Amino acid sequence: MKLQFKVSPTMKTRQSTQQIMMLLTLGLMSVVLFSSAFYFVEYGMNYVVHLWSLLAVAVSVAVASEAVWAYFLKKDIVKYLKTSFPWVTAIILVLMVPISTPLYPIAIGTFFAIVVAKLMFGGFGHNVFNLAGVGRAVMLFSFGAAIMPDLVTSATPISSIANLGWVVKDAVQLETFLAQFGGISGLLFGWYPGAIGETSALLIMVIGIFLAVKNVLDWRIPVFYMGTIFVLSALVAAIQGLGIWFPLYNIFAGGAMFGAVFMLTDPVTNPTSASGRILFAIGAGIITMLIRLQGNYPEGVVFSILIMNMLSPMIDRFTDGWQLELSKKYVTSIATLSVVGALLMGVVGFNLQAVAIEEPEPEVPDITLSSPIALDQSASATQGVILSSSVDGDATVVLVEINGYKVLSGEYDDALPNKVEVRINTSTLKVVSVTVVEVKDTNNIGTKVDNPIFLDQFKDLDQTGSVDAVSGATVTSLSVVRAVYAALEHVKGGE
Amino acid sequence: MSVWIGSMQKHIEGFKELTTYNDIVNIAAPKEIYIPLINGVSTAFEVLVKEGDRVFVNTKVAVRNDRFEVPLFSPVSGVVKGIKKIMHASLKPVDHIVIENDELYESTISIPHLDLEKATKDEVIEFAKVAGIVGMGGAGFPTYFKYLTPATLKVVLINGVECEPYITSDYRMMENYTQDLITGFIAMMKMANAQEVHIAIKKSKKKLIKYIQEAIKPYPFASIKEVDDVYPMGWERTLVYAIYKKRYVKIPCEVNVIVNNATTAIALGQAITKQMGPTMKMVTVSGNGIKNPANVFVPVGTPASHIIAQLGGYTDENITLVAGGPMMGKTMTTDAWVITPYTNAITITKTEQVDSMTCLRCGTCNDHCPAGLLPVRINNAEQAKNVDLIAQLNADLCIECGLCTYVCPSKLEVTEGVRRAKRVLALKKGA
Repeated sequence: MKLQFKVSPTMKTRQSTQQIMMLLTLGLMSVVLFSSAFYFVEYGMNYVVHLWSLLAVAVSVAVASEAVWAYFLKKDIVKYLKTSFPWVTAIILVLMVPISTPLYPIAIGTFFAIVVAKLMFGGFGHNVFNLAGVGRAVMLFSFGAAIMPDLVTSATPISSIANLGWVVKDAVQLETFLAQFGGISGLLFGWYPGAIGETSALLIMVIGIFLAVKNVLDWRIPVFYMGTIFVLSALVAAIQGLGIWFPLYNIFAGGAMFGAVFMLTDPVTNPTSASGRILFAIGAGIITMLIRLQGNYPEGVVFSILIMNMLSPMIDRFTDGWQLELSKKYVTSIATLSVVGALLMGVVGFNLQAVAIEEPEPEVPDITLSSPIALDQSASATQGVILSSSVDGDATVVLVEINGYKVLSGEYDDALPNKVEVRINTSTLKVVSVTVVEVKDTNNIGTKVDNPIFLDQFKDLDQTGSVDAVSGATVTSLSVVRAVYAALEHVKGGE
Repeated sequence: MSVWIGSMQKHIEGFKELTTYNDIVNIAAPKEIYIPLINGVSTAFEVLVKEGDRVFVNTKVAVRNDRFEVPLFSPVSGVVKGIKKIMHASLKPVDHIVIENDELYESTISIPHLDLEKATKDEVIEFAKVAGIVGMGGAGFPTYFKYLTPATLKVVLINGVECEPYITSDYRMMENYTQDLITGFIAMMKMANAQEVHIAIKKSKKKLIKYIQEAIKPYPFASIKEVDDVYPMGWERTLVYAIYKKRYVKIPCEVNVIVNNATTAIALGQAITKQMGPTMKMVTVSGNGIKNPANVFVPVGTPASHIIAQLGGYTDENITLVAGGPMMGKTMTTDAWVITPYTNAITITKTEQVDSMTCLRCGTCNDHCPAGLLPVRINNAEQAKNVDLIAQLNADLCIECGLCTYVCPSKLEVTEGVRRAKRVLALKKGA
C-alpha cells in the first residue's frame, strides 16, 4: 500500500493544453478544407495540390527545426514536439498567404518564426511575439513581390479598397467594386480568392464560437477586437457619409476575423488578466484601423498583433493587484482607451479622401481622312430609306437605311445595307450628331467610319456642308453622307 | 463576476451520487480513541483529565485556553491512557488524549440545560461556547465568537451548499436531522437578533430543497435560497455575493449577514435538545479508492484507518488519501490520523500520474479566482522572489480553494505557488 503525497488540490480538470492545441488544429484544418474546396471548384486540382504542398513544406520545416533543436538540447525529441506544437504556427502561416506564394518563402518564413521567434526565446510558452505573425512579417518584408497575388487569383479585398483610398462614395463604383467579391454577403461567405484561409469570415466566426465554448480561447479578445474595428469604422462611415457597408467590409474582408480568432487569442502572447486582454484587444483594433486607413500597408492585422504582443508585459503590470479593488481602474482605463481610439479615428475620418480613379480614355483607332464629299453632291445617287423618325426635345432623331459598299458593288450575294442614326436640330435644320448603328460592309475597312474623327465632322452641318471621307473606306463614307443628306431632306420635308 | 475580472467560479464534477442515496454506516468506536488537542491552527489546550482517570460519554476532557474557549468531550466511556503525539489531519504532529474504550458507553452531562424559548441572546451565545460548537464545514472556528460582533445582523444564512466534490455529509445531515437544523437556526437567530433565516442549497439538489421547504413551512421567517452548482459557492464571500450581490472587506457582518454551516446549526440544535457536545460526526468517505463509498457516523477521535477497514478497504495499491475534499483537503501519507469535530470527509482516489508542462499564460486561473486574485502573476512574482510584487498582488487574501490548480490546462500546481508566496509574505511581515 502506497499513500501518495501530493499538494492539494488533488482533483484537476480534464482539459489539458494538449487538448486545447488539438482543438485549435482541428479548427485550422476546417479552414484548410474550406479553402481546398474553393480552389478545387474555382481553379482546379493544381491549386489544391499547391495549397497542400505549402502546408507540407511549412509543417515539415517547423517540425524539423524543433526536432534538431531538441536533439542539440539532448531532449527526448518526441516528447519535446508533443509539448511544443510546432505545426500550429505552420498551418496559421500558410493560411495567411495568397495561393500564388511559392514554396521557398513559406519555408523561410516558418523557419524564422520557429527558430528565431520561438526557440531562441525559450521555446513554447516563452515567445514574446505571435509566431505566425512574425513569419508573415518576415515574408512580407523579404519576399513582398514573390507572394503578391497573381493575375489569376487577383488582389485581396483589403488591398483593392486601399487602392481606392478606402472611401468609395459613388454608388455605381461601389456596386461594381463590391460585386467582384459577391457583395458584402459574398465577403461574409468568403467564396473568393484572397489569402488562403482568411476569406470566409463566417466559417472563421463559427470556428471561433466553437473554440470559445470549448474554452480554447477567451471570447473577450475576438469580441472586443472585432467590436473596436466595427465601431471605429462605423465612426469613419458616419463622418464620411458612407453606408453600413463600410464597417461590414472592415469586419468581413481581409485578415481581421482570422487574426481575431487564431492569432490575437494566442494565450502565450496575451496579457493574463481578463481586463488586460480587453485592453489588448481594443488596442489591437485601434492599430489595425490606423494602419488600414493611414499606413503604407493596406492590411494592419499582423502589425497590430505584433505591436500589442510587445505591450503585453506592460499591460500585465498595469492590471496587477487585487482585481476586486481595481475594478474601477479597469473600467476607467478600458473607457479611456476606447475614447482615445475614437478620437484618433475621428481625425483620420475627417482627413480621408477618395483616390480619384482616372478613367482611361477609350482608345480611338487611327484613321486618316482623304478627299471631301459635299452633302448635296451625294444627293443624286441612291437615296436612303427612312426607317423611323422621332422627336426628342429640340431634335428629331432619324434612323436611315442606306446601301453601302457591299450592296453597291453587287459582288456579295446576301449583302445588307448599313444603318445610320442622325440627330437633327428641328428648328435650325443642322446636324447635332451622327451615330453609325450598323455597318454591314467589310470588317476593319468599312467599319472604320464608326469613328469620332469621321463622324464629328457632321456636327452643325446643313445640306450645303461637306466632310472628308475615311481613307480606304470611301464608299462606306459616302453611304453615311447620303444617309445624313436623306435625313436632313426628311426633316425639312416634314416641316 | 464580471467581464473585466472573469467568472470567479466554475462548475466542477461532483461525484456526489456515490454517497447521496446509499445507507449511512454507523461505525462503533474502536478499542482506543484519540482526542486531538487542536482547533483550527491552535494547540493551546488545558487537559482536564490525567492518566488513569475514568471518563464517560460527554465528559469534558480538555479546553482550548488561548483567546478562544473551546471544550472537547469524550465520545466513549473508558480509561485515559495518557497523551500521545501523532500526525493530525492538518499534517502537523499534535498531542492526542488516548482513551481506552470500555464499550459500556456510560454517559454523563457536562452542558447546562438551555430553555431556548426564554433564553436571552447572551445566554444562547454562552451556551454555544460551553457546548463546544465550532464551524463544522471544515474550518472549526468557534461559533460563539462570530456572534459577539457589535454589527447589526439582519439575516442568518445557513450554508448548505457543500461545493467540494464527493462530500455529501451536510446533505445527509440536513436530510436526517431536519428538526435539529430548525432548532439550531432558531437559536442562531436569537444569537444574532436577526429577523430572517436563509438556507442556501444548490439548485441541483432538487429533492433536498423540496424536503426542507416542506419542513420549514411552519417558520415564516425561514426560506430557501437556491444557488448555482459551482465551486466555491460554499465560500462565504462567493455565497453572500451570489445571494445578496454584496461584497465585504473582512466578515459578512459588514453587510448584516452571518453565515453558519448547516451541520453547525444541527450540532447546536442537538446540543440544546440532547445536552451533548459534538462527539459524533457524519463523515463522507468517497472516491474510486475506497471499496464501499458511504457516509459514516463515527465518534470523534476514531482513526481513518478504522473507518476505511469497515468500508472494505482500498481498491488499489497506489492511492491518494485526502483528509477533507479533493479541493481543499490535505493529502495524507498515513491513515492513522483521527476524526475531529469538524472533519467532514475522507476522499480516497487511485493515484493518477499527470505530466505538467510549461505555463501557457492562458490566464484561466486569473479568470476563475473567487478571491479576485491573479494566481499566475503571484506564481511569477514568487519565482522571481519579488516580495513587493507579491504584496501588491495581495497574495495573503488567498483561501487556497484550489480552483487555480484545478482549471490549469498545463497541470501546474498553481495553488501551491500561491501558498509559497503567502509564506514569503508572512515572513516579510514578521520580520
